[in-house]
Amino acid sequence: MILPPLRYLRPGSVGDAVHWLTHIDGAIVLAGGQTLVNALKLDLVAPTALVDIHRLDELRSIAVSPDRTLTIGAATTYAALAASTDVRLTAPSVASMAAGLVDRQVRNRGTIGGNVCLNDPTNNFPPLLVALGARFTVLGPEGTRTIDADDFFVGTMTTALGNGELLVSIEIPPLPRGARLVHRHLQVGADSWAMARAVVRIDDDNGVVVASRVVVGAVLGSPQRLRLVERALVGLPTGGDLDGAAAEAFDRESIETVGDVHCSADYRRQMSKVQLRRALRDLAKGTPS
Amino acid sequence: MTQPQDEMLPISVTVDGRLETGQVSSRTLLVHWLRDDLDKRGPKIGCDTGNCGACTIRWDGLLVKSCMVLAAQADDTRVETAASLAHDDGSLNDLQACFKEHHGLQCGYCTSGMLMTATDLLESGEEITEHSVRRGLKGNICRCTGYENIVRAVRAAAGHDVEKPHGAAEEVAS
Repeated sequence: MILPPLRYLRPGSVGDAVHWLTHIDGAIVLAGGQTLVNALKLDLVAPTALVDIHRLDELRSIAVSPDRTLTIGAATTYAALAASTDVRLTAPSVASMAAGLVDRQVRNRGTIGGNVCLNDPTNNFPPLLVALGARFTVLGPEGTRTIDADDFFVGTMTTALGNGELLVSIEIPPLPRGARLVHRHLQVGADSWAMARAVVRIDDDNGVVVASRVVVGAVLGSPQRLRLVERALVGLPTGGDLDGAAAEAFDRESIETVGDVHCSADYRRQMSKVQLRRALRDLAKGTPS
Repeated sequence: MTQPQDEMLPISVTVDGRLETGQVSSRTLLVHWLRDDLDKRGPKIGCDTGNCGACTIRWDGLLVKSCMVLAAQADDTRVETAASLAHDDGSLNDLQACFKEHHGLQCGYCTSGMLMTATDLLESGEEITEHSVRRGLKGNICRCTGYENIVRAVRAAAGHDVEKPHGAAEEVAS
């Protein structure tokens, strides 16, 4: 298949990238290209220029600060995340998720920044990063700003990135002492497309749930926090019937799903609940994140 | 928005150990440049959508699908195709010999991609098991073999004692 006419630009720095993104009408970022190149073949997008950021070393670093905050460059590949000792020790859920993505070839090219900036509802990193309370550092024509995960993901295939802005890095704060996190997915096959995703985080203080984040993916407007479920869990004893409380609250949530070739909208909704309940049972069993 | 223009860009890429230079359109895919301009027919065009893995190469040492990369991106890099696998005298390397011995192909269209991925897996140092080979080859689709003999061939290349394919005959010197 032949791509539409476009310019190919390789900036020497993030500053150059932002300059081009700001001043070239219709220019977009090319990161790993594992979705974008296919979208170009299928005429799903029509940029005038691609700004290839994949080779910028300043976007590919992984660092841990003394307070154990993990900072990941936006162009870090899934393979690099899965192989990083720093990521495995400070955010094991991020490493395990990266290791189970698509296939060897795609893991070598696909980037965490591309994954979150596309924000396809079936993407796996957006719900996880919301549950982890990640922060997104963005460089734009007006300078740098930092956006909380809850505000970064605006809706289906939409983020808070404005014109000319480039995602530079993702900061993941350490989970507070006693917190646990589990992610569960119903996939078409291993390492494959998801029909339903649930990420559950419980912050425990002396045997009581003091805070929780419950996020579903693969729904319209993903990632979606289930605030009613979160509220139902807070105050319960960590060893109590979290599963029952969550299931009851889930039915009161407003969740919109769509059907596709893999399953109906109703099935997807039901399976979101199943994944949520399984995640809570994993937490009760003490399965590590 | 102004109508975007095609640009011609100079690239120089080391392909299978030889420096190749050329002019590519900004919208040319790497697989098309390798096949059409350089006549490197190792990478095949199967699905054109990044699913089948027939176009798999190693790019600066990393396994990738060359239909998901622009040729312009490969400037000043190193590419290895399946043509790099055989010994200098043209004889098969161990993995290729195992594919032959275990009948790890039928039509052969997926084979060069399978060989590239299997090479990457074997060199990665990961534990080789039936399961790890199947998972490792996930990005490569074969529509003939049902994978059974491909998995055996890769395991045999890792030194496992695996069953010979149906109908295999032992040759014994008389």
